[in-house]
Amino acid sequence: MLPHLACLLIDRRRATALLAGVAGWLSLPSGAFAADAVQMISHRYPALEFYAERMREALPDVEVNTQLMPHDKAMELANIAMSSKADTVDIVYLNDSTFLSFAKNGWLRPLDDLFEKYKEEFGLDDFTESALDTFRYDGHLYVIPHTINTQLFFYRKDLLDEAGKSPPTNFEEYKALAAEMNSPLRAGTISCLKPVDAGLNEMHWYINGLGGAWFDDDMKPVFNNEAGVNAITMLGEITANAQRGFTSAANDECTIALQQDVAVMGMQWASRAAAMDDPEKSNVVGKIDWVAPPDGHQRVAADGYALSAFSKQDPETLFKIIATSSNEANMREAASMILPPRRSVLNDPELQAANRHYPASLASLEIGQAFPRLPEFYEVGEFITRRVLQAITGEMEVKAALDAAAAETEELLKSRGYYQ
Amino acid sequence: MRPTQRTQIMLFTALAAFTVLNLTPILWAFMTSIKLPVDAFAVPPKLIFEPTFKFHYEVWVEKEFWRFLINSVIISVATVCVSVPIGTMAAFGLSRMRGTSARSLLFGLLAIRMFPHILLAIPFFVIATFVDLIDTYAAMVLALVAINQPFTIWLMRSFFLDVPRELDEAACIDGCNLWQTFSRVALPIVRPGLWVTSLFSLLLAYNEFLFALVLTGPNTKPLPVAIAEYGGEDINYWSLSAAAAIGIMLPIVAFMMALQRHLVRGIALGAVKG
Amino acid sequence: MHTQRGLWLFLVPSGLVLTLVLLYPLGYAIYLSFFNYYLGAGERTFVGLGNYAALLTDERFWSSLGKTFLIVGSAVSLEFVLGLAVAFGLYKLTFGVRTLNLLLFLPHIITPVVAALFLRWVFMGRWGLIDGILISFNIFPPDWLGSPGWARMTAVLADAWQFTPFMILVLYAGLNTVDHSQIESAQMDGAGNWTILTRIMLPALRPLIVFVLAIRTMDAFRFFDSIYVLTAGGPGTATETITLYTYALAFRLLEVGKGSALGVLTLLIVAALVALLILVIYRRERGAF
Repeated sequence: MLPHLACLLIDRRRATALLAGVAGWLSLPSGAFAADAVQMISHRYPALEFYAERMREALPDVEVNTQLMPHDKAMELANIAMSSKADTVDIVYLNDSTFLSFAKNGWLRPLDDLFEKYKEEFGLDDFTESALDTFRYDGHLYVIPHTINTQLFFYRKDLLDEAGKSPPTNFEEYKALAAEMNSPLRAGTISCLKPVDAGLNEMHWYINGLGGAWFDDDMKPVFNNEAGVNAITMLGEITANAQRGFTSAANDECTIALQQDVAVMGMQWASRAAAMDDPEKSNVVGKIDWVAPPDGHQRVAADGYALSAFSKQDPETLFKIIATSSNEANMREAASMILPPRRSVLNDPELQAANRHYPASLASLEIGQAFPRLPEFYEVGEFITRRVLQAITGEMEVKAALDAAAAETEELLKSRGYYQ
Repeated sequence: MRPTQRTQIMLFTALAAFTVLNLTPILWAFMTSIKLPVDAFAVPPKLIFEPTFKFHYEVWVEKEFWRFLINSVIISVATVCVSVPIGTMAAFGLSRMRGTSARSLLFGLLAIRMFPHILLAIPFFVIATFVDLIDTYAAMVLALVAINQPFTIWLMRSFFLDVPRELDEAACIDGCNLWQTFSRVALPIVRPGLWVTSLFSLLLAYNEFLFALVLTGPNTKPLPVAIAEYGGEDINYWSLSAAAAIGIMLPIVAFMMALQRHLVRGIALGAVKG
Repeated sequence: MHTQRGLWLFLVPSGLVLTLVLLYPLGYAIYLSFFNYYLGAGERTFVGLGNYAALLTDERFWSSLGKTFLIVGSAVSLEFVLGLAVAFGLYKLTFGVRTLNLLLFLPHIITPVVAALFLRWVFMGRWGLIDGILISFNIFPPDWLGSPGWARMTAVLADAWQFTPFMILVLYAGLNTVDHSQIESAQMDGAGNWTILTRIMLPALRPLIVFVLAIRTMDAFRFFDSIYVLTAGGPGTATETITLYTYALAFRLLEVGKGSALGVLTLLIVAALVALLILVIYRRERGAF
């Protein structure tokens, strides 16, 4: 085709014909993008891949197109589509933090009526009340929960046993242990501070676990108080024994550090626990154990699917799709990949016995803490992570960095109508 | 002062060493794609391992990435077919204009290339939904043609500047119009330059990610978007990305091998009289 | 002699596409830059030059601009010097040129998103390729992604890895067009390779040099993927470039008005840079551009 391009150009008629042809053919509406296919956008990790597959199979006569991609890309697409009120997305993945801004902006359809209607059929009252409550905003339910996730404290049982140590129960012990176990070839701990999401998760644990808080009751930032400064100082001291390149490490890099025996311990998501025992991925099969994080207050998160307020599809159809994918049978099947938000599955002793990390995970859920219920937290997280990292890398004093982050946070919140 | 045998060999060795250094990340990625993750990210790096092609199989067969390859090919070839002809015409026009207006127009064109593309993504999406062209090849091709124009025009203009004006004039003595001067005189001379411009336009269209993410959907999704969908959150995804990324290079490599003679000659001919 | 007026017709198809497809989004973005526009709320208020004023007094804007200059400047210079050296080497080489040429071009054809991932596997601490090899010989290299100086270096190398091939290809082709008789006569006078390169070839290639430098400067200013994937702006803010800031504003904070203002400022800065480049290289004979 290309070699003829130059020749085509020589003859005006043929060139015009080519242009017209190309233009005509390209603007044909592409047939498969028919109005009847349901469009779903989601973050991607193994459990969500599983649920996406179940959505595609949910209703025999409804085609569901699922697009799964990394979290930041999925959020970009969803934000662009929703903010322009486009009907290009029908079902959207959201987590316990991101759904708040979508709900606040009026981009989501409340699900209360459908939830009542289909309660029996899909056994919806089996969902834990905390999972449902997570996804309520202003008294309305917006998301059908599919997963619960929390950070666990991963540690090398073999190495700690050898050194006669037990896993830390508070930050001071953690710091001391990381320093003691640190060696040139194996870092004392992992730390995953890549901005924004990975870093923010870890900071959440330090700030809250060491007695601080992100905001007071009036949503004024208070993370720059004494407890906050101590927390970030602690983070700085612990990262002194973290793996190389921790400022650009996200969950994948940290997971590999543990799997490849180049780090001793650290915080990572429960959804990563099973991969530690997978011989295709891990060099430390059976050597990792888990406990609830020292001092608790680590992030507890939940993922689920919501319906776009701008969808032209029948909401009942859409609801049935996400209710089917999150039914008990499916959750049971996904339970090795992710913690299920259904009581019947979560508390099933059989599953708890089959998954080595379940006891630690359940204990962690008890003492964990969700992100602040502030729709803008996803956004102000950007300032906060940036400033905290400036403090960790020595670009700024901790106090000054946190003060700056607090001022920026307050300014943004003020511009969004807070404090009036 | 002909270069001696020895300096030639030294020169070749140095260049070959540089080439090998440059290719290391690609070779390493290829090795990653044929290892299990446990070996791929092992410390120290494993050079001896049992190769597995399961990720290549998974990507191209099970996940049907060949579909996205077809989308990529359609989009990029269509882009080249529209962008290069119209850019070439504009370049000819600009190259034959006298005065400063052509130069300021050219600089204005370049300004478009300077604007951060992430800011164009949102308006592009809004327009495409408004005219109902989301998830069609047309939206993607139009966007890419437009993005491609400044580069195409600038490069082709420099080729046309190389064509002596006397030739234009000689042709006109025989009584031809402007179009004939363009198509019968100037164009055949710069034909090699078209290859170069085509290659760079093709590369841009083939590798474009951001607009593709926003403008395409399940039916028209090109390879870069499909690969980026496996960007992380499971170590297996990296092996899949590596396998797909190695595959995505092959068509371009084949294209370049087929065209190499034209390419070097093409660049040699033009681009010199900026 | 043909009429000048007819020439405009040649610009019509291209102009039409540009107007239809680009000018509106570009114009719209410029228009939005005068508004306080948070995408989530969906309503906007006119603030005049407020966004610009806010940015120009924003410490983050200046620091990211400075880092962008540093990274883009180093990357483009490195690419040019390396590209010219390799191109001249290829020019002098009498065998194997075609194969080397093809192989050298390969890094340029990888999709940018993926190219950054490839480099991540090379530069990653401890289990990355470089660290893995060196540490197994008990050599502890610097923390490529984790120490500010080296992270900037890595960002520069990442850009150079992907775009030096572009320089090589264009400059090599350019060198081949330089008049042989001139070179031969210089050789007769006993001029060495260095003299020939700097006194004869480079001046002859000035338009081409402007072209590659301008294109690379513009693109490097805009490029985003490699730094986003490699260091995400870190450690701290060591590699936070202006596009990363634009991305944060537009896609994380959804502050499209302020983001657009930043885009317009970027455009003005790059335009000034390119104009300066043209001015410096052509000095007084400006008409040659």
